[in-house]
Formats: sequence, C-alpha cells, structure tokens
Amino acid sequence: MHEAAITQALIEQVRAAMPPGARLQRCAVQVGELEHLDPYVMQTIWQASTANTDLRGAELVIERVALRVRCGACAREFTPADRSIMLCPSCGSVKPQLLSGTGIILRSLEVERT
Amino acid sequence: MEIKVVANVLKLNDEVAALNRRALAEAGVACLNIMGSPGCGKTALLEATLPRLRPALKIGVIAGDIATTRDAERLAHLCDGVTQINTGGSCHLDANQVRQGLANLDLHALDLVIIENVGNLICPVTFDLGQGAKMGLFSVPEGADKPAKHPRIVLEADLLVLTKTDLLPHVPFDKTIFDADLRSLRDDVTLIETSVVSGAGLDAWCQWVRRFVDERKGVQARQVSQSRTE
Repeated sequence: MHEAAITQALIEQVRAAMPPGARLQRCAVQVGELEHLDPYVMQTIWQASTANTDLRGAELVIERVALRVRCGACAREFTPADRSIMLCPSCGSVKPQLLSGTGIILRSLEVERT
Repeated sequence: MEIKVVANVLKLNDEVAALNRRALAEAGVACLNIMGSPGCGKTALLEATLPRLRPALKIGVIAGDIATTRDAERLAHLCDGVTQINTGGSCHLDANQVRQGLANLDLHALDLVIIENVGNLICPVTFDLGQGAKMGLFSVPEGADKPAKHPRIVLEADLLVLTKTDLLPHVPFDKTIFDADLRSLRDDVTLIETSVVSGAGLDAWCQWVRRFVDERKGVQARQVSQSRTE
C-alpha cells in the first residue's frame, strides 16, 4: 500500500507546479507497470486528500506505461508479452535492462485562471 | 490552459537518497538494502552471519518495521551500531527515514551499513534509499512462485537469497519451478541458498558481502576524488 505515499508526493508536486491564482481542473500522471500501483486506490486517496483544499474537484488521470526492456546480450529492444518472462526474441538470453515500466511522472496540469 | 510538466513524483525521495549516497561515500561506507516478505528470515540471516563478518568489518544496521524495536534488540549485541525506524503504518522505508537512521550511526567508525527494510516484496523496491546494492530474499515456505509474482525485485536485485533451505524436504516447494521462473526473468543474477539451521550457504553469503564492501569502497573512493577535482 505505497499508493498513499506516492499520491501525497504527487499532490505536493502539483502544488509546486501550479501557477499563482490558477485553479486545477485535471492532472495527468504516468505510472510504470512495475510500480504495482493500484489506480483505484490512487484515485480514492487523491479525492480524499484534495477534498476541501485548493485542489478540490480536480480530476486525476493515470496513464499506465508498459514495461519495455533492452537485451543485455544483443541490445534488441522488446516489450515482454508476459512480465515474468524476459527471454530475448532475438538471441534467447535473459539479461533484461529496464527501459520503461518503472517510475511515476507528473506530465501535465490543466488549469483555469481565476 | 494545459501546462506541460515532466517531473518525477519521487524527486524529493531521490534527492535525499542522493544525499545519503554521498554521505556514505564520503565516510567510505558500503550500504546494502535488504528486502523480503515478513518472516522470510532477514533478521535471522543477519543474526547468523554478523558474528562471522565482524570484527573484520565494522557493521551498522538500520532496522525498519511498522512497529516494535524487536529486530534492533535482536541485533544490538551483534553489530557496531543499530537504529530502529518505526514507520507507523507505512509498508516501506523512504530515503528521509534512512537519512535520520544514518544520523544515529557513527558512519566514520563503520565499513558497512545494512538496511533491513520493512517486510514486504513490493513497495520497498520503488524507493531508492541511497544504497550501493539491493538484495532480495525469498524463503522456502513462501512457495516457489514468488519470483514470477514479484518480478521487479528480481529485475533490480544485485543479489538474491533463498532462505530456510533446511525445510525443502518438509514443505511443498518445487525447486525446479523456482529456478525456471527466476531464470526466465534474469539469467545473470547471483542466487545464494542459505539455511541458518544447517549453516548451508552462510559462508557464500559472507564472501559476497566482503567482496561487495571491497568493491563499493573502491568505487566510492574514485567518486569522492573525482567530485573534489571537479
């Protein structure tokens, strides 16, 4: 249940990025597949934490970023069909280097001037 | 109006982790972050091996738990400094908690800090603490399917340990499936199989730790001298 810590960190980042006097309508965040964050839990925490604050009513949009790896043996880049099998389709070795699928990135804010 | 942002949500954590890494490098201390499920044998492995690693290595331990100081009490007489972090309810340690933990240790008197993370195979992997290596533990009674169910720890670990191997004859654990699942994720990660009851694998683990400390100190010395010339 690290959704609470992550969502609170997100809210702090949103506040830091908000232009003065603006009101937040929507916030878009990318979440890597391997972060194992439940979007429904994040939405619940977002709504509970922003209610009755300057961010009240703002929508949280969560975009899932798929796992992508580079083979450490032959450098082929691929998206594993099953995240528990990292077999390189070109050379058959299992030496994945993570290219995407981890990380939580705040991407954009939709704001209206008040 | 849309404002484009590209900001790592864990930026604050990662900045503090970088401070931890720098403080450890300047003191010449290696740091190992140990992660595994509750009851997988993190503390037991340390109890069994700290006496072998000392006194050649001076070792501090940061023990993370939701509640109690029991792990710190178990390890206090076996190491050169211990600090317990109670997260209250949080399922992982973050870099700021480790920063406070490091402040309670005399880093210049140590060679190695071992962080025993909160028992959990999922959440701790997300949070950089400033460690030099990550170690993942699986235990035999948890079942053979843990690597397949928890791929990230396998993908990011510098070392994996399978504990409680003395139980292999007594519990349904298909070692063939465990090995096949693990090697479907990574064929290049070291796996050490241990039992604190039989003593199996403990020498191998101690050797890995000694080599890690030596290598890490070499890397840190180069980084510190580089940052001084910049």
